[in-house]
Amino acid sequence: MTLSTKKLRQIGIALIFILPALLLFSPFVIIPMAYSFRISFYDWNIVKPELSEWVGLQNYLDALKDPIFQRAALNTGMYAVVTVPAQIVLGLMVAVLLNQDIRSKALFRVLYYLPVITSWVVVSLLFEYMFSGQAGLINYVLRDVLHVVDKNILWLADPILTFVPIHLLGIWKGVGWTAVITLAGLQAIPENIYEAAEVDGASPVQRFFNITVPLLRPTLVFEVVVLTIGALNAYISNLLITNGGDPLDRTHFILTLMYEATFGRLDFGSGAAISYLLTFVVFIISIIQIQLLQKQVEY
Amino acid sequence: MSQKRERRIRKIITYTLLIFGLVIVVVPFWYMLITSLKPQAFIFEMPPRLWPAEVTLKNYIEALGKDYFGLYFLNSLFVASITTVTTIFVSSMLAYAFARLEFPGKKFLFYIFLLGMMIPPVMLIIPQFIVAKHLDLLEKFTGLILVYVTMNISMQTFLLRGFFEGIPKDLEDAALIDGASNWTIFWKVIFPLSRPGIAVVTIFTFLYSWEEFPWAHVAIKETTKRTLPIAIALFQGQHLTEWGQVFAASLVSLVPVVIVFVLFQRHFIQGITTTGLKG
Amino acid sequence: MLDKNKIFVLALSVMVIFSLFLVGCGQANNVVEDEGNTVENSEPVENSAPNENEAAEENADMDEPEAEEAMEPVVISYWHTMSDAETAQLDNVIAAFEEQNPDITVEPTRYAYDDFKQAILTGLASGGAPDTARMDIAWVSEFADQGALMQLDGVMDDFDDLAASTFAGPLSTNYWQGHYYGLPQNTNTQVLLWNTEDFEAASAEVPTTMDEFAAVACELTSGEEQYGYALGGTYFWAPAPIFYAMGGKVVDDEITTATGYINGPESVEAFSLLVDLYNQGCISPNLLGGGIGTADGHATGLYAMIIDGPWMVDIYKGNYPDFEVNFALIPTGADGTTSSVVGGEDAVVFEGSENPEAAMKWLAFLLSEESQLMMAEVGVIPTLSGLIGNPALPEYFDIFLQQLETAQARVPHPAWSDMDNAINNAFQRALRGEQTVQEALDQAAAEINDLLN
Repeated sequence: MTLSTKKLRQIGIALIFILPALLLFSPFVIIPMAYSFRISFYDWNIVKPELSEWVGLQNYLDALKDPIFQRAALNTGMYAVVTVPAQIVLGLMVAVLLNQDIRSKALFRVLYYLPVITSWVVVSLLFEYMFSGQAGLINYVLRDVLHVVDKNILWLADPILTFVPIHLLGIWKGVGWTAVITLAGLQAIPENIYEAAEVDGASPVQRFFNITVPLLRPTLVFEVVVLTIGALNAYISNLLITNGGDPLDRTHFILTLMYEATFGRLDFGSGAAISYLLTFVVFIISIIQIQLLQKQVEY
Repeated sequence: MSQKRERRIRKIITYTLLIFGLVIVVVPFWYMLITSLKPQAFIFEMPPRLWPAEVTLKNYIEALGKDYFGLYFLNSLFVASITTVTTIFVSSMLAYAFARLEFPGKKFLFYIFLLGMMIPPVMLIIPQFIVAKHLDLLEKFTGLILVYVTMNISMQTFLLRGFFEGIPKDLEDAALIDGASNWTIFWKVIFPLSRPGIAVVTIFTFLYSWEEFPWAHVAIKETTKRTLPIAIALFQGQHLTEWGQVFAASLVSLVPVVIVFVLFQRHFIQGITTTGLKG
Repeated sequence: MLDKNKIFVLALSVMVIFSLFLVGCGQANNVVEDEGNTVENSEPVENSAPNENEAAEENADMDEPEAEEAMEPVVISYWHTMSDAETAQLDNVIAAFEEQNPDITVEPTRYAYDDFKQAILTGLASGGAPDTARMDIAWVSEFADQGALMQLDGVMDDFDDLAASTFAGPLSTNYWQGHYYGLPQNTNTQVLLWNTEDFEAASAEVPTTMDEFAAVACELTSGEEQYGYALGGTYFWAPAPIFYAMGGKVVDDEITTATGYINGPESVEAFSLLVDLYNQGCISPNLLGGGIGTADGHATGLYAMIIDGPWMVDIYKGNYPDFEVNFALIPTGADGTTSSVVGGEDAVVFEGSENPEAAMKWLAFLLSEESQLMMAEVGVIPTLSGLIGNPALPEYFDIFLQQLETAQARVPHPAWSDMDNAINNAFQRALRGEQTVQEALDQAAAEINDLLN
């Protein structure tokens, strides 16, 4: 079976466009991924790799059976379930508002975007500071201003309450990102479609749900997928606010657990296994999301 | 008359909501700002004040005056700029291939690139270090740049593919009929029409390179070549965190990213695509 | 199009000018000096093979001028996490060393404290480990167990003399399975800090025994305005001084079992003391997480007493210049003796070093009186027992050196961080009322035993 010249030509053209990305991706992502994948099947010795012992699926099984891992998986899942929809909805609201005919658009955009461009480390420290159990802004507001509570809440000392600042932080930091991308998506929707609909007598709400949302589909799909991946991979804010699972290893995310295994206990094999368990889940979820939400957009 | 009123009410609601949201967004920054202006002794004072009783610039002077702050700043600027430009070209080309070209293994390749976005970057650092070492890319800005571009390819390509797919094919079909090659179509048609998408890629790639820490920390040891996030990390002492200085340095390092954002967000021009469709 | 480009270029130039301005403002000396070092270190080394992590740098700097020395200098890398002041002083120490050893050049790299272990591991995994490093004492047995560190006893010149000149506690942190894998470079311990104002206001006396301590802690507590005592957290380092002073032990001397030790009567008594004080409200709730730090709380009078280390002197000087800090020995336990916990860093040589003799010479110099006294100037406590009472040392060192005579090291075992975690969790469970102190420590003992096997 010979390839037609047309097909060859197609491949050739495609190759030109793909090559630069592929040349970078192979050594810096594909090979490292294969390397860590291999490690996950060993009791890896960092200093003398040749002495590493093959353990097959043991690292994976140990992780799955570990109650701390299970709790971490729960925590991570909750984080995604709470922060992703919140960011999408709030981001969409902000984008729609910003898309109106208002003054100082640029100023608003910049200010809303500020949380996105601040580093995770700084923002985590900031929220830790604000949610301090003894001298924090939040407690001050709740207790002395709003009189909703009568005692200081020790946010960071409680395995459940400590997630309040962590979730809020994730949402606060991400809304600007979602807003910016949704805004770009909104810009790509031609005005005349709205005008035509208005002429036909459609109300703003109808226009929103029948025009805006469907046409935003590719953008929204992109956001959901990326935000979910990001949420499942979150770890810096957790690491800084809970110091790695405190109290009592009940507040881990999957990646903070992996971090502890790899860099805390020097158990690279276990860390790699945990990463791949997460990657597997993330991959499946992303594919499902893309298939479910993707539809061709016709004008 | 009522239409005008309706529009006015809409405007008032819009502004109110936006400002309300803005307060929530800005309060933490305000807190950071006033803390950076306080001497350490007042960092934990209660009740928190809206404006510090004692204002000092000591934190800024000390943080910025530290030996290498300016140098790290420049290094970060250099690395971030080159990374951004390179990423734009590499990922838009790849995105075009996915959006418009047909070739065997296309879906498979797409998922491979997607997979790269899903593995925790932290896990890749050690093997990446080994590869970089073999390629003799350590202790060089090139090493940082190449890895940063790579880490951004997946996401930016995914984003751009979405944008490219949204561009109506009429223009390209017309150009194809006129005998233009794919290369020409890419540069002369698709690229210019994707300004919003490219702008977004610019903003995010610059941000990523500007604040990346784990790779920069191990790939470059030479003090003169280090980047800004490392300078800020060094403020966190083992025994006491000098909050004022951390926040002062962080606020200063926000400036370039804000500038990039302000410059490029102007490109969300509505309705570019429609003008080509009419008539 | 033109407009956008113009603005872009303008903004870029503004940023560049701004940063050049910052560079100029920064201490120009250091920048220049470091450039000098860089040039020096890139001399192509012929016979003595350069270390792997130097190779990359060499290739990059092949255009640099060659040295015209008769002997080719050997380059030793040294990784550390020193503070600003210490890093500056380190340059002087290196200068002194290089003067006495013209054939050796030391190249230091400073890392951020929180990410240092990661950096070392990355280096190890890729064959790019340094020759030497100053690492946390708790890591030595861990890295030694992995085969990453070079054994020093029987290999290094004068090792026995050097070892004998150091404090026993710090030295013991280098010991693993019959051999020594490092030397104590600097040490520290924790002592009692007491706030003059709080004590004088209540006319209270500084406690010398644990009973007095418990009493005073509650005496000086009033609601949420003031706490008699505060701990930094529940990780072992925090309660360790009281734990050791009251006779507590984690494991037996041979490190074979924890049963009867971590859950033995003295250990239980120590933790019970703390849990009771907490339940009475005499200990600040910050130890459970997310409160005001001990350093800040102590200086503002919120915490009348804390237990902390010598670094507090410089920290308070820099951040609370009006605060007068007072030190006292850890109160004595039932048998009338005080104790505390040993901290600090050890200097180690990595197994893959291409220049082990030079590396060991550097280590020996770090343990010389000359080097130790130089670092003492910036607040680093020496490990040489012979320096006790030396007039060149800062005055406040006295109490720490005194405490060091009885301070104990934590368990030098590769699984220490997991053991720490077990004790940490036990303390938490007891504080939260989920278990009694005995139950909590029994569970910790079982977990630690698992780790020892």
